[in-house]
Amino acid sequence: MFNKMSCPALDEPGFHACCQLLLQQSEQLGDGWSWLELGGGPGEEGSEVGYLKKTVLRSVAVDSNPVQTQEASGSETEQTSILQPEAQDTGEPASLNADDLNDYIKDEDAVCTAVDINSQVLQYEYHILYSCSYSTPVLYFRAFTMEGRSLTLQEVWSSIHPNYRLCLQNSPLTTITQQEHPLLGQPFFMLHPCKTEEFMRPLLQASHDQPRPVNYVLSWLSVVGPVVGLDIPLKYCTLLHPASSLSSAEPD
Amino acid sequence: MASDTSEASSSTADVKLQFAPFSSALEAGFWHQLTQKKLNDYRLDESPKCIKGYYYNGDPVGLPTRLTLEFSAFDVDGPTPARCCPAVGTLYNTNTLDAFKTTDKKALLEKEAKEIWDAIQSGAALKDPSILCRFILLTFADLKKYHFYYWFCFPALCFPEGIKMVKQPSVLEQVFSAKEIAALQEAYDGLCTKQGTTAVPYFLIKYAGEGVQMAPLREWETFFTHAEKVTVGVYDPCTLSQHPGWPLRNLLILLANQWGSKVDTMEVVCFRDRTLQGSRSIQHSVTFQVKLPELPNNSVCPKSVGWEKNPKGAMGPRMVNLSECMDPKRLAESSVDLNLKLMRWRLVPSLDLDKVVSTKCLLLGAGTLGCNVARTLMGWGVRHITFVDNAKISYSNPVRQPLYEFEDCLGGGKSKAIAAVDRLSKIFPGVNAEGYNMSIPMPGHPVNFSQATLSQAQRDVEQLEKLISEHDVVFLLMDTRESRWLPTVIAASKRKLVVNAALGFDTFVVMRHGLKKPPVSQNVSAEADSSTSCSSASSSSSTPAGSAPSVPGSSLFSNIPGHKLGCYFCNDVVAPGDSTRDRTLDQQCTVSRPGLAMIAGALAVELMVSILQHSEGGYAVASSSDDRMNEPPTSLGLVPHQIRGFLSRFDNVLPASLAFDKCTACSPIVLDHYEREGFNFLSKVFNSSHSFLEDLTGLTLLHQETQAAEIWDMSDDESI
Repeated sequence: MFNKMSCPALDEPGFHACCQLLLQQSEQLGDGWSWLELGGGPGEEGSEVGYLKKTVLRSVAVDSNPVQTQEASGSETEQTSILQPEAQDTGEPASLNADDLNDYIKDEDAVCTAVDINSQVLQYEYHILYSCSYSTPVLYFRAFTMEGRSLTLQEVWSSIHPNYRLCLQNSPLTTITQQEHPLLGQPFFMLHPCKTEEFMRPLLQASHDQPRPVNYVLSWLSVVGPVVGLDIPLKYCTLLHPASSLSSAEPD
Repeated sequence: MASDTSEASSSTADVKLQFAPFSSALEAGFWHQLTQKKLNDYRLDESPKCIKGYYYNGDPVGLPTRLTLEFSAFDVDGPTPARCCPAVGTLYNTNTLDAFKTTDKKALLEKEAKEIWDAIQSGAALKDPSILCRFILLTFADLKKYHFYYWFCFPALCFPEGIKMVKQPSVLEQVFSAKEIAALQEAYDGLCTKQGTTAVPYFLIKYAGEGVQMAPLREWETFFTHAEKVTVGVYDPCTLSQHPGWPLRNLLILLANQWGSKVDTMEVVCFRDRTLQGSRSIQHSVTFQVKLPELPNNSVCPKSVGWEKNPKGAMGPRMVNLSECMDPKRLAESSVDLNLKLMRWRLVPSLDLDKVVSTKCLLLGAGTLGCNVARTLMGWGVRHITFVDNAKISYSNPVRQPLYEFEDCLGGGKSKAIAAVDRLSKIFPGVNAEGYNMSIPMPGHPVNFSQATLSQAQRDVEQLEKLISEHDVVFLLMDTRESRWLPTVIAASKRKLVVNAALGFDTFVVMRHGLKKPPVSQNVSAEADSSTSCSSASSSSSTPAGSAPSVPGSSLFSNIPGHKLGCYFCNDVVAPGDSTRDRTLDQQCTVSRPGLAMIAGALAVELMVSILQHSEGGYAVASSSDDRMNEPPTSLGLVPHQIRGFLSRFDNVLPASLAFDKCTACSPIVLDHYEREGFNFLSKVFNSSHSFLEDLTGLTLLHQETQAAEIWDMSDDESI
C-alpha cells in the first residue's frame, strides 16, 4: 500500500487498491461511496481512470448571521452563514397569476413544513481522485442548492467550520481552491494536497513500526473529510481490523 | 425544527391526517440537460414531455421530503437509483416567460389529476401503482441569461372532509417487538426480490403471529380474504414522526374508490428504511390508524391540489440563475481569473491581481508588437485594451501578427485596429476592447498642406490626448521612431506610465519611461532643476547612458528613482525626424528575427506587471543587472528601467539611464512648450525639420561641442 522505505508515497495501483477496499466497506456500511470510471472505449478496460464519489445532503440554517448549521445527522452544530443574501434573492416574477390559484389550491390536508425559510438544504458532492504529481489522493467537492445552483467559493468558505477556517486561512498552501476537475473538466473546489504527505508520514510510520493495517485513503479521508463536512463513520476502522482483508489489497 | 410545531397541533386523537408535501430538488445536471434538449431537440416545440424523478425513504431526520430530478430525468426508461422509487412527470417547457406566466395552472393540474383518476378507475393504477405518484413541471429556460423559471406540481386528489386518524400515530419500535420489526423488514426485502426491484412504492401487509406477509397491491382480493385488519404499506419519503409523505394521498383515494364500501378503519405503515453508520433500521417507520372516508361520488374526479410553494412560502414559481456555471462567457471569465489566482495561491501569495486586471492599456500600434502585447495582456486577465493603428492588414502580416488571418488581408485588407478588436473578443468575450483607425502626427512629417490636413492633425492630437487621459498605461509599439514622439510628450505631461518596445534585426529595447513627479510639486522642482541643471546635473545628465564608461557606473546608474529615469528619446542626441535619414539601430531595418517581437512584446507586458506590483509603481527605483543577486523589490522580482536584448547572444542586460535635460521629448522645456502652447507648438514640430527641436532643447549646441553623434548605442563589453 505504501513504500516501506519510510517514504509514504501512494502509487496509483496502491490508490486503486485502497479505493476498492474502501468501496467494499462502504457497501457493507451503506455509506454511499461509488466508483466512477471515465470513458475509455470498450477496448481500454485496463485504464483505471476513475474516482470515488459520494453525495451528502445537509440541512443548513440561514435565518440569522452567523447561523447554526445542523448536520443532517443532528450530531453537530456549527456557526456559519452559508448563503449570501443575494443568493436567496431568486428575483422570481412576483406578478405570476398566483392569486387566482390560491382559492382552489388551499390544502388543509398538507402540513405546512415544506416552507421552512430558516433552513436550506444543500447537496454536497465529494470526489476522491489520485494526483500523480503529489502521489496522494485529492479531495474535490462542490455543493448545490436544491434549485441546482452551485455554491460560490465564498459561500463554500463560509460553510467551513470556523476552527478549520482559521486553520486553512493561516496556511495558504493547504487552502481550498477552485479548480477544474481533472476528469470531468467542470469547476470544483479542492483541498490542496501539498500538505498531505506531511500529516500522513507519522501515521504511516507508526503503523509500520507496530504492524497494523492502514488504508491510506481511509486514514487520509478521516483527516481532510471533516474539514469540508464529510464525516467518516468510525465503523470503517473496526471493519478494517480483521487484518486479512488488507493483505489481499496490497499490490506488492 | 418544523416537525415540533406541527406535532403540537396533533395532540388529540380523531384528528385529521396531514401530509408532508414534496419539495422539488433539482440537480444542476437537470438544467444542463434541459438546455441541451431545448437547443437540440425541442427548439420551439412546447408540447408536453415525459420526464422521470425519484424519491427516497432513507433520509436522516431534518431533511425535507424531496422529489429529485437529475440529468437522467429525460431518460424515462433509464434506471432509477437503488432503493429509490421512480416518479413519472410531465414537462411543460414554454418558449416565453409570458407563456410561462399565462399557462393555465389550474387546467394543467386538473388534466393530470384526471389521468390519475382514470387510472384508478380503470384498475391501471392497481397494476402499476407508481402512476399515483406523478408530477408536473412547468419551465421557462431563458438561455440568454441562463435564468430558469420553474414550478412543480405534485397532484393529489382530495377527500372533501379529509381523513380522520382514529389513534395517535406510533413509531414502529413503540408498538412492535424487535422480532416483529425484523420480520417486517425481511418480508419487504422478500417482496423486492420477488418483484425484481430495490424499492416497492405500495404494498399489502398481513401479520401472522410473529411473521409478516406482504403482497403487491393488485393481489388485494386474494390477500385479504376475510374481514381481517387491513394494513397497507407505503414507501414513505417523509422523515416527520407525526405525518406521512405525499405518496400516501392518492393511494388512499384509490383504496376508497376500490374498497371504500368494505373497509372502515385501516392501518397504514409508512415504511422508512435508513442506514446510519453502517446499520440499517426500519424501526422509525410510522403506523397510522385511519378511517377510510367514502368518496361522495365514485364516478366524478375529486378536487385536486399540488402546486408547490416557493421558498417564501407563497404560491408562486421559483427561479434559479445559473449564469455563473452555465454561461460559456462567464465560465471563460472565471476560468481566466481562476488560472491567475492559482499563481497567487501557489507561488506569489502577495500578488495584487486586481491592480493588473483593472489596468486600462492603450496600445499604440497593432502590428507584430501590438498583437503580442495584446495577447500577453489577455493572459494576465487585463480586460481593457485599446488599439490605435492606421494600417490595413497586408498579406505578409498574419504569419507574424497573431491576431490576423489570411482572410483579413482580402479586399484591400481590414483595418488593423478594428480587426484586432474583433479577434480579441473572439478569443475572450470578456475583454473590453476598442480600436481606433487613426494616424499619429509625427515630427518632420508636415501637416500644413491644407487647412483640412491641419485640422485633421489637430483632431488626431485631441483624440490621442483623450485616449491617453483615459488609460493607465501607454504602450509604444509603432514601427517608426518619430511616431513615438507625440505620445511620449503627451504621456509625460499627463504623468501616465509609458512602456516602450522597439525592435532591431536581432536586438530589442523594452523600457519604461521615467514618470515625472506630479505637476504640483513639479512647479517647484522644475525651477530648481532648470537653475541647477548647468551645474551638478549637466555633467551627468547630458551624457546618455550609452556613453557611461567615463563615469563610475555604479554610483551614477544605481538607485535612480522612477521620476529621474529617461524616456526613449533621452538616449538620442538627434531629434526625431525623417527616419530614412536618421538611422538608429532599432529603426534601420524593419525586418526582425521573427521571434523577437514575441520576446519583446511579452517582456513589455511583464515589465508593466512588475511595475504595477511595486508599491511606488512608476516611481520605483530602477533595478539594474547588478541587482540580480539582491532581495527583489517586488513579489515578482526586479523592476528595471530598460531591458536590452541581443538575440545573437541570447542575452539580456538591464541598463538604467537618467532623464536627459536636453531630451527632445521629455525635457522640461519641451513639456513646458507643449503645455503652454498646445497644438500650435506641436504643429511647429510636425512641420519643421528636426533642427527645430534640437535648437529648442540645446542639442544643436551640444552637437557643436562634442561632435559626438550616434553614441547612444551600447557596445558589447560595457557592463551596466
